[in-house]
Amino acid sequence: MIDMTDAGPLLEARRVFKGFFGNPVLKGVDIALRPGRVHAVLGENGAGKSTLINLLSGALAPDEGLIAIDGRPVSRLSPATARAAGIAVVQQELSLAGELSIAENIGLGAYPRRFGLIDYGALARGVREVCDLVGLTEPLDMPVADLALGRRQMVEIAKALFRKPRVLILDEPTSSLSAHEAGVLGRVIATLRDRGVAILYISHRLNEVQALCSHVTVLKDGGVTADRSLAGIDGEGLVRLMVGRETGELFPPRRQGQAGRMRLDVEGFSAGLVRHARLVGRAGEIVGLGGLVGQGQEDLLLGLYGAIPAKADRAEIDGRSGLPANVAAANAAGMVYVPADRKHEGLVLPHSMASNILLPSLGRLARGGLRDRRAEAGLVADLARQLMIKGDVARPVQALSGGNQQKVALAKWLPLDPGVLLLNDPTRGVDIETKREIYLMLRRFAAEGRLVILASSDTPELVNLCDRVLVLREGQVAAELSGPSITEAAIVGAAMGVEQGTGPGRRAVQ
Amino acid sequence: MTQASSSRLYGAIQRRRNRGLVGLYLVVGAFLLLYAVLFPGILTIGGFSKFTQNWFPLALVTMAQALLMLNGGITLAIGPLVSLGAVIAATTMGSAFGVPGGILAVIATGLGIGAATGAIVALLRLPAIIVTLAGSFIITGVALILLPRPGGFVPGWLSTLLAGHTPVAFLLLLVILALWKIFLATPLGLAIYAAGDNPVGAFRSGVPIERVKIVSFALSGVLAALGGLFVAAQTGSGDPIIGAPFTLNSIAAAVLGGVGFLGGKGTMRGAVCGSLLLSVMINVMFFLGFPPVAQYVAQGLIIVGAVAVPARLALWRAAR
Repeated sequence: MIDMTDAGPLLEARRVFKGFFGNPVLKGVDIALRPGRVHAVLGENGAGKSTLINLLSGALAPDEGLIAIDGRPVSRLSPATARAAGIAVVQQELSLAGELSIAENIGLGAYPRRFGLIDYGALARGVREVCDLVGLTEPLDMPVADLALGRRQMVEIAKALFRKPRVLILDEPTSSLSAHEAGVLGRVIATLRDRGVAILYISHRLNEVQALCSHVTVLKDGGVTADRSLAGIDGEGLVRLMVGRETGELFPPRRQGQAGRMRLDVEGFSAGLVRHARLVGRAGEIVGLGGLVGQGQEDLLLGLYGAIPAKADRAEIDGRSGLPANVAAANAAGMVYVPADRKHEGLVLPHSMASNILLPSLGRLARGGLRDRRAEAGLVADLARQLMIKGDVARPVQALSGGNQQKVALAKWLPLDPGVLLLNDPTRGVDIETKREIYLMLRRFAAEGRLVILASSDTPELVNLCDRVLVLREGQVAAELSGPSITEAAIVGAAMGVEQGTGPGRRAVQ
Repeated sequence: MTQASSSRLYGAIQRRRNRGLVGLYLVVGAFLLLYAVLFPGILTIGGFSKFTQNWFPLALVTMAQALLMLNGGITLAIGPLVSLGAVIAATTMGSAFGVPGGILAVIATGLGIGAATGAIVALLRLPAIIVTLAGSFIITGVALILLPRPGGFVPGWLSTLLAGHTPVAFLLLLVILALWKIFLATPLGLAIYAAGDNPVGAFRSGVPIERVKIVSFALSGVLAALGGLFVAAQTGSGDPIIGAPFTLNSIAAAVLGGVGFLGGKGTMRGAVCGSLLLSVMINVMFFLGFPPVAQYVAQGLIIVGAVAVPARLALWRAAR
């Protein structure tokens, strides 16, 4: 590899300030992206990472300070000029048009043309090249809407590469990728780095940052707390840089002693992708659902919750037999669900934190058919304190950070005193401090005798938090791991169909 | 090699878009067959000409509507624009402008009003439904000022050419569809879909979404105004309120053709088929002697069915 890190920065921000509605988000941030270097930006949610990306890509203009390309300050960087300068961004929110084909999406905004028309021949060749690079084997004429989320993310990455960028900005690119796809992406990044591309990499997954990046800028509360090489620093050290203090263990200690009574016992369960699954859970357990993205984890949760059609040969939930027919029945049986897409499915964004929390319990708190404001206020204050939700409860939920939004999505169910909590990737896109709080909370729920079923795309979470882990593959339980046999290697191996000992766990019954 | 792979990707994308429309094609085909059985006159040149002349203005306004719906908008000003187009045609063609001047005036009016509406929607970021509702009042008012009661003049030869016993209207429709097809193969044309489907994503990809929106409204305006010109030629004069039914019919036809309300969903060929279907249905019911009230009810039920059936089918397929 050629060492080009001594060359001048391709893209830099110098002392940039940016605020929204009077709230300062970035307070004098410097960052320099150099060719041939993978540069990580770490920081908790709300630290200003997204804003920084938007400044670097021209989507926003700084209030003060300047953006420089090749050392020359640019007075007004627009997305168009940024692209013309070779800056490509893979955003967290996908930028694809579902009805258009893979090829038309990848070329969007940069179509090769002939006589004013799109040159579909040149487009096909250019697109095939980047698709081969990222391992997209789907037909190029396929509409993007027909792809799974992880594949769409790969299209997004291919789209950025299609423009042959000199600077590539990746904002949590792996959040919806399977382990295999993340591995492919890692190789692509290394290739680009060796070709001299400057890469900015943002991720909440520290092991990825350590594996891929050589330099890190840490943001905290809108300022830079570190701008240094990643050499000689471990995960603990990174977390310290981010939160600015010792965090202690990210994961709370496991429960000791025996699990309680049977809360969930389902045999021959089918819903959506899931076929003939067997699932048991006892009071006080945290049961993890792992596997590649989209192997039926969500369908399993939704099926149990009565939100999609499901059937089972035998089902017993908290002593009642049969699956809940619908969501109301599931709630009545003490089962609640926290969706992965909290913004769309879990919360009413423009409404206040208080009304979101109250939504499932409005009926129970009513007196004589009217709302009991005092009881409501008491409940909200109590929950906010219990879950360490910061901020004014009258603020709209959309103004909260991702972590606090997740807590609200969880908190709203607690007044129902649920016996079974179905959680779908509750820590996705959540900062590390909130993650820790959520882990503590889940442990506490289990200790209170509830059953927590946790689908997660974050393998360390499954390893360190769960008492048992079911690994799904193509809708089937590929492995059930428990105790010391829960290792990252075992989970990833089972998810990818690599045969290996699954320890004391059972193989799934077909 | 270039040519081959070019047509290969392009062809594959087009085939995929057609595949989703097979059901619609079958329904349209069945209705046309029924129509031909009931009224074999359609198989003569004259009958075919009359039939396509009845369909032509609806096809134009449906394209005008679908263009905006695909871009994530909608317009309630279609009918008034048709009326204004008719009025302008009928008031200019008899004057010193002559027929060429009249046609240019109609196109310029549609283009100007469309672009202005689009600029208001895109640059002030106002909802298209409100802006075009307001626009529909203003345009109706202008049409009534220009021509308070039906009148004006369209030369007889133009009426004979467009609405006589030759399928000129049908040929014009083919030309317009071909032009649309070419436009769709330009980056700007495809951007209408992309910006309608995911405006933020398209913006970040470097698509000038404001310009795309203004162009969409301008083209839509031209199509609607040309629809008015044709109506004026058909009737031989201008009528300041003749376009009124076209507003809702254009939406109905686009929806029948599978164009979604949320932008980016659907195809222009589907929308044109939808307008053909609506036109055939209206004709069939008329010739079968349905009372007008029953026609409206049936029309409404068929439109709800057209939206519900594919949705249920998709659910059923997903459940299997």
